[in-house]
Order: sequence, then structure tokens, then C-alpha cells
Amino acid sequence: MCQLTRSLVLILAVVVGTARAALPPGYAGSDTCKICHEDIYNGLAKTPHHQLAADAKRGWQGRECEACHGPGQAHTEGPSADNIQNPAKLSAAAADKICLTCHLNQPTQVGRLESSHAHNQISCTACHKVHASEPLVVRKADAVNKQCGSCHLNAWAQFQRPFHHKLPEGDMTCVDCHNPHGTIRPAMLQSFAANDPGCFKCHGDKRGPFTFEHAPVRFEGCQACHEPHGSANPRMLTRADVRFVCLECHANLPNSPVRVMGVVPPSFHDLRSPVYQNCTVCHQKIHGSHVDRNLLK
Amino acid sequence: MKTLAAILALAAALSAQDTPPPAPATEPVLTGWVDLGYRWDTGIGGSLDTYRSIINLGSGPKFLGTDFTLADPKHRWFDTIQVRADSWGDEPSSSLHVEAKKSGVYDFNADYRDFAYFNFLPSYADPLFGQGIVLNEQSFDTRRKIAALSLDIRPGHWWTPYFGWDHDSSSGTGATVFVTDGNNYPVPNTLRDSTDLYRGGVRFEKPHFHVTLEEGGTVFKSDQSLFQNPGSTNYGNFSTPVFGQTLYLNSLLADYGIGGSSAYSKGLLTANATSWLDIFGQFLYSQPNSNVHYQQTDAGNLYLQSQILFYSSEQTLINAASQQPHTTGSLGAEIRPMKRLRIVQAWLTDRLHDAGSAASAQTLISAGTSIPLSSLIASTLVSNYNQESVDILYDASSKLTMRGGYRYVWGNAEYAFLPPAGLVSSDQEQLRQNVGLGSVTYRPAQKISVTGEVEGASSSGVYFRTSLYNYQKVRAQVHYQPLPSLSVSGDFTLLDNQNPLAGTNYDYSSYQESVSLYWAPQGSKIFDIQGTYTRSDLKSNIGYLDPGDLSQQVSRYRDNANTGSALIDLNWPKGKRFAPKLAMGGSFFISSGSRPTSYYQPEMKLWLPFGKHVSWFSEWRYYGYGEAFTLYEGFRTHLVTTGVRFTP
Repeated sequence: MCQLTRSLVLILAVVVGTARAALPPGYAGSDTCKICHEDIYNGLAKTPHHQLAADAKRGWQGRECEACHGPGQAHTEGPSADNIQNPAKLSAAAADKICLTCHLNQPTQVGRLESSHAHNQISCTACHKVHASEPLVVRKADAVNKQCGSCHLNAWAQFQRPFHHKLPEGDMTCVDCHNPHGTIRPAMLQSFAANDPGCFKCHGDKRGPFTFEHAPVRFEGCQACHEPHGSANPRMLTRADVRFVCLECHANLPNSPVRVMGVVPPSFHDLRSPVYQNCTVCHQKIHGSHVDRNLLK
Repeated sequence: MKTLAAILALAAALSAQDTPPPAPATEPVLTGWVDLGYRWDTGIGGSLDTYRSIINLGSGPKFLGTDFTLADPKHRWFDTIQVRADSWGDEPSSSLHVEAKKSGVYDFNADYRDFAYFNFLPSYADPLFGQGIVLNEQSFDTRRKIAALSLDIRPGHWWTPYFGWDHDSSSGTGATVFVTDGNNYPVPNTLRDSTDLYRGGVRFEKPHFHVTLEEGGTVFKSDQSLFQNPGSTNYGNFSTPVFGQTLYLNSLLADYGIGGSSAYSKGLLTANATSWLDIFGQFLYSQPNSNVHYQQTDAGNLYLQSQILFYSSEQTLINAASQQPHTTGSLGAEIRPMKRLRIVQAWLTDRLHDAGSAASAQTLISAGTSIPLSSLIASTLVSNYNQESVDILYDASSKLTMRGGYRYVWGNAEYAFLPPAGLVSSDQEQLRQNVGLGSVTYRPAQKISVTGEVEGASSSGVYFRTSLYNYQKVRAQVHYQPLPSLSVSGDFTLLDNQNPLAGTNYDYSSYQESVSLYWAPQGSKIFDIQGTYTRSDLKSNIGYLDPGDLSQQVSRYRDNANTGSALIDLNWPKGKRFAPKLAMGGSFFISSGSRPTSYYQPEMKLWLPFGKHVSWFSEWRYYGYGEAFTLYEGFRTHLVTTGVRFTP
């Protein structure tokens, strides 16, 4: 039966092949692939990759399967996993090379080499399912979050804390804040208005510029004081009591030999008084003030 | 045999070419669903304000969601239009997303989100709690609306113009504090701000290079007001008289008139110069600026500490302006000198220079006498950040990749005020950090992957006491899929950071370890299970000076947490006409340490099809939150939602 099947494949390959324009040596053509892999072919036909079948300029007309799997003539003559390229079995770098043959010179790739995904051998196909059993690019919030959360288990756990950005609810996605293809910012954070942190896309009132800046916001970003994924502390702060968020930095005497920024507040702040236990009661413009150098208004 | 059947079917099709194929659809085809329903809550046990700060779901009729696609087989005006919407009808968050595209002609995306942003936790900021007054003096009840439109023209062509608009606005009310010398007064305020971003650019994509050029700008507006109506007396947070006089506020009107704008330029480049060299780079420049006209009128018995002066009313005008040129550039390359060797070299610089000034004119009325005061303060803030890195990646085999890298980070930061006043009017610091990296990725089989990564750094200068100084990071990930239907993952991260400088003595340690399981036997025909459990621990000790007496103290923060989430889907075996589905699961978070907290969210959902186009569903959720030190802020509630899904 196996021999019969092989013979019929060959016959049909010839029939299909002669009915089409000549293929480069070694290539079998997608119609031949479809004979045995119809489900996969039909799945591919629903994805943007199917445009390879029709677009002569890209050079893969009629052999879109082989754009990724390599020449398939030998595989049609002797179907075996050993004589066809399977990107899923290649190293991440080799698999990415196939994708980047077409996709390297696109804006999404500008930050790729600096991304932790590239550094850690997370290939394109880890997230992008080419054969359409799942979408090529997931768009729905719960699908995006589920995909990221399947590897970033710790981050997903942080979102289960009571004070969090609304990802578990499906109101936001991981890619609202992170660009999985890499950016110039740490943790692959998105940017806003060219080179400001992506946080300002939704928190525009914190962007400034302020006449009187609070230095850590500019030098270390929001995560200097906030746990952006989630926290047990109100306002997603890094500490349970606001005063410690502040005092852990503001604890140097003026002209101290310790060379870090942030001097101790004037001594009239008596921490036993409840008024002074949350610094932002008075220093309410903690992200920066337009009118007061002490961030009081 | 299956292959043979396919061949024979294809052969039959080829031999019967004169048989006309079935007529393709010519009219737009609509697929998708719409969910409508009603939600009840059983009443909020405990703190309604905390419930609203964290959950905020309410009772009533709801448009729970829709997801549909309209496809035009004739591709006249569009190929497809996809619409997704979630949670409309007085919900704490609502969203709408529309995608319309026509291949090679346009690609249009619209996104809209509306968030109710409420926060009222008395434990957060209530100086008067001891007097029986429950008030979060930094609370708010606002709605934030976020919208984005983008249009790509000729997508897929070698040059593609594109345009976009992003909008973010917030409005609502809140409570804040009016701060004066000697006392501060909780007052209501109104909040309103908006940011609009406009952008346009063109992408050039050729086989060997890509360039994107974009120009854009933002417009910002913020109008916050603080007020207290005349005729009332506000005695503030301090009841202690100053020089025998009680301070109070009779009226207040303070308006922030803030406007701003920015223009930015963006240039992106990728190129593969040769078969062994890829180049990438970015140039980003923005120059946001702000202008402020602040007006304040207040009356009462108020106090000016610098002149030991009591006054009965005040008028203040402040005109301020600031600008912040910000330049960022990066350049890098991936070099492949050998088949298995990749060298990634990257350089980054980020330079932000902020300059501002504020001129104030103040008139105090004291004992019938008008006292004018004025000031002019200038400020600067500079941050120059640079980073140079090299990574070497070696594919020892198709199963094993090793990476080693080095990163040098340097920069300087400074800020200053003129004229000088207070404890510190200028400060500057250097950043110097050497970072070493290493990682291994091992994939002995397609179904197993193991990744280990370490990073260690040594610093000779950082900006802040809590910055990463001498640190070690470790991360390990394992993924194993023993069966097509079963996969198991593990994740471990560790961060240790020490700053041994005298007076700081910062010792920070945190780790998280997680395991997850996904089991879907027989392709989820009967059931599937997914679950994740995470154990985390954080310890932080850092010295600080008590601002009351300048004594040395240690700030200790602890957070030991157990977090889990799980979901079980049960499907009635196929063959039944109206097969129900049941899903149950939820999540929990239990922590001890500086803020012992418990947070439970179990849920259950039942689906029952009533035919081909209609199915009924019902969902139960429970939310329970408790915090050991502020028990009065706990809450618990049951929510039941029932509804109908219509499928065309």
C-alpha cells in the first residue's frame, strides 16, 4: 500500500506539475503539498501568508509551503520527516532565520536584537502559529494575555494580587505596555510620542514636563515606586506604607559623603503624627509639579 | 489510507474538470456572536469603597460583549471587518475594537476603552482617622477614556504611508489637600485632563533594508480645581494652635490651567548589508513643553511661616513654563562570522534635559494691610544615559545554544534650583555599572526546553539608595510536553541586590517559583484542566534616618505570598444535540508579611445551547478581600450573571 501511495503521489505530482508553470529544480509546488497535507494547506490559506501564492513579486508563487519548509521534491518522492525542513524542530535561531528572510526588514524588527526573547532563543513561532489552528497574530485580550502568561508565570501571578492593572479582566493586554519584538527601553516597554515611557499613553497627566520634576520618575521610571503588574499595596506601591516608599530614598544628610540623591526631609516631620505617615497627603504632586518646588501643589 | 483517499478524490476532481464548481458566496458573510445579560450582586459585605476601588462591578442589564466578522467575498470596499466589544452598560471598563482591511489598499484599526477609575481607601491617606473622620484625602472618582485610530495605506507595498491618532482623557472628582504653612486642609477637587497625539509617517520596505520615518505631536490640557465654598470653616488636619491662634480655611478656589504640546520625530532602520551582517538603529527626538497659569484665592485665618505672619486672605498667580528636549538613539548589528556564531553589538544613548521656571505674584491681606510677595524660581534636570553591550551566541548544536554577554552602563544626572533654598538646591550623580550575562537554552527534544539565565552586576555609582547596585539575577524556565494533550511548565526567578554603602546598607532579596499544568485529553472533548501555582518571597532591609530626630532606623519590608489560579472545562460528550458546558475555577492570593492579605475569586460558568443560534449561560463569581491590619477595608460579595448568546 505504501508503494502504491508513493506511486500515486508521483503520478499526481507530475499531473499537477505539468499543469502549472515550471518550478525551480527541487521544488514540488504547493498543490502537491496539499495532496497529503490538505488540512494544513487550508489553514494556511486563511492566513496572510497565503498571499505568497498569488504575489509574483515575492518569488514564491505556487510554492508558498516551500517558502518555509524548503524544497519539497525529495519529500514527495519519499515522504519522510527527514527530507523536509520542519521549522518547529530547528533551533530558534534557524527557525527565526526562515521567518526573517521576509520579515527582517520591517519596523517591528528594529528592537528585536535587543529583546530578551531573541536573547533567550524564543523563536517567532513560539507566539505566531503559522498554520492557522490559532491566529497568526493573536489580537483578543484574553488570548494575548494567555499566550504571554503561559511562559511568564510569575508575572501572571502578580496580576492575581488585589491591586493590579486590569489584565485578568481582559481590559488590557500585555502588549499595551510591552512590545514582544523588543524596544530600546528596559523590559521591552512600549514608548509614547517617540521616546517617552509607554505608561504615558494612558497616564498622560503624569507626563509633564514639569517645572519641578521628581527626579526618580525621569531617571528610573514608574517602577521606582510602583509594581506595575500588581501588588498587595494600594496604588500598586512597592511598600505597604507610603512613608517608607519615600524615606528609603530620602535619607541622606545634606552634603553627605554618600553619593546618591535624596536628602532627608526637614526634622519637623514627626512620623508619630498620622498627618506625616503618608507623605503624599501634602506632597500630592509626587510625579512632578508645575508650580511648587516642594511638590505641594 | 487517508492519503490514498485524498489522492483519489483529487484525481476524480481533476478528471471531471467540466463539472461546474459550486457557486461561491457573493454577498457579505457575517459570523460571530452577541452576549446580552443581567447581573445581580448579593450586596457588598464589608467596605463598599474598597470593593469599588478593586472590583466595581455593579448590578443591572449588560451588553456583555460581541465578536463578529463581516467578510465580503467580492472584496468591494473591504475584505473583512472585525468588531469586538466588551462590557457595556454602566461597567467599570468597556471596550470597542474595529478592524477593517482590504488587502493591498488599506488597513484600519480603531480602539476605544473607557475605565471607571475609583479609589477610596481610608488607610491610604486619612490623617483624621483617629478623630473618627473616615476620609481618604487622596481619593478620586474619575473616568478615563482612551481611544486610538490608525490607518495604513497600501499595506504590503514597498512604501506604506500611515496615519494615527491617540487620545487619552480623564474627568471626575476627588479629594485632595490644600497645603499652607502650619496646616493643611482636605478639600474637594475636580479633575480634567486630555492628551491627543497625532502622527503620520511612511514605511519603506525593500528586500535588503527598511526605513520608517514618522512625525508627530501631542496636545495636552489639564484643568484641576480645588475649592471650598464660602460660608464653611475647615479646621484642617492640625488642631494645634500656632502662637495661640487656631488656623482655619473659610474659602478656596484654586485653578490649574495647564497646557502643553510636543513635536517629535522618529526614524527607524533595519538592513541586512550582507549575508552575515544585520544592522538596526533608531533615532528618536521629542520636545514636549508645558505652560501653566495657576490662580488661587483663599480666605480664613492663615499663616506665613517665613514672616511669622497671620493673614485673612490671599491671592496668588503663578505663571510657569517648562520644556524637555529628549533625544534617543540606538545602533546595533548582528554579525555572523560563522554559521553557529552570532555576535550582537548594541549601543544606546538617551538624553533628557528639562528646564523650567515659575514666576509667582502673591498678595496677602493681613489686618487690613496688603502685602505683596513675588518670586521667580528656575529649575533644571538633566539625565544622560548610555549603554554599550555585546552578546555572543553560539549554537553548539541544534539543541543547545549558549550565550555570554557584557553590558556597560554609564551616565550622569543632575538637578538644580535657582535661587537656592531649603536643604538642597542642587545635586548630581554618576552612573557606572558593569553587567555580565550568561544563558543556556537546551532543547533535547521538540517537547522539552530548558532555559537558564544569570546576570550579575557591580556598580561604582548609582542615582538612588534603592537602585540596583551590586546585584545577581537568576532565571530558569522548563517546558515539557510529555503528551500532545499534556504540558507542564516551571519558572524560577531570583534577584539579590546589595548596596553596602555606609548609611544605606540595602539588602534586597526576592524569588518567585511557579509551576503550571495544562491537560486537554482527546482535544478537550470531555474536559481540560489548566492551573498555575506561584510561591514568592520578598525581603528588603534598608537603613534610613527618622525625619523626626534623625536617628538611624531600618525599613523592613516582607512579602511572602502563595498565588494560584485554575480552570476546569467540562464538555458534555458529543452526540447530544444540546450539549452543555461547565467551567469552574478561579484564583487565590494569600500573603503574609508587611501587609497580610487574602484575595479570593472563585467562579463557575454554565453554558446550555438552546438550538443552533441561541445559547443560555449563567455565571457565578465570588470576591473576597481581607487585609489583617485594616480589617474594616475587607469586603466580600457574590455576583451572578445570566444571559443569552446569539449566533447568526
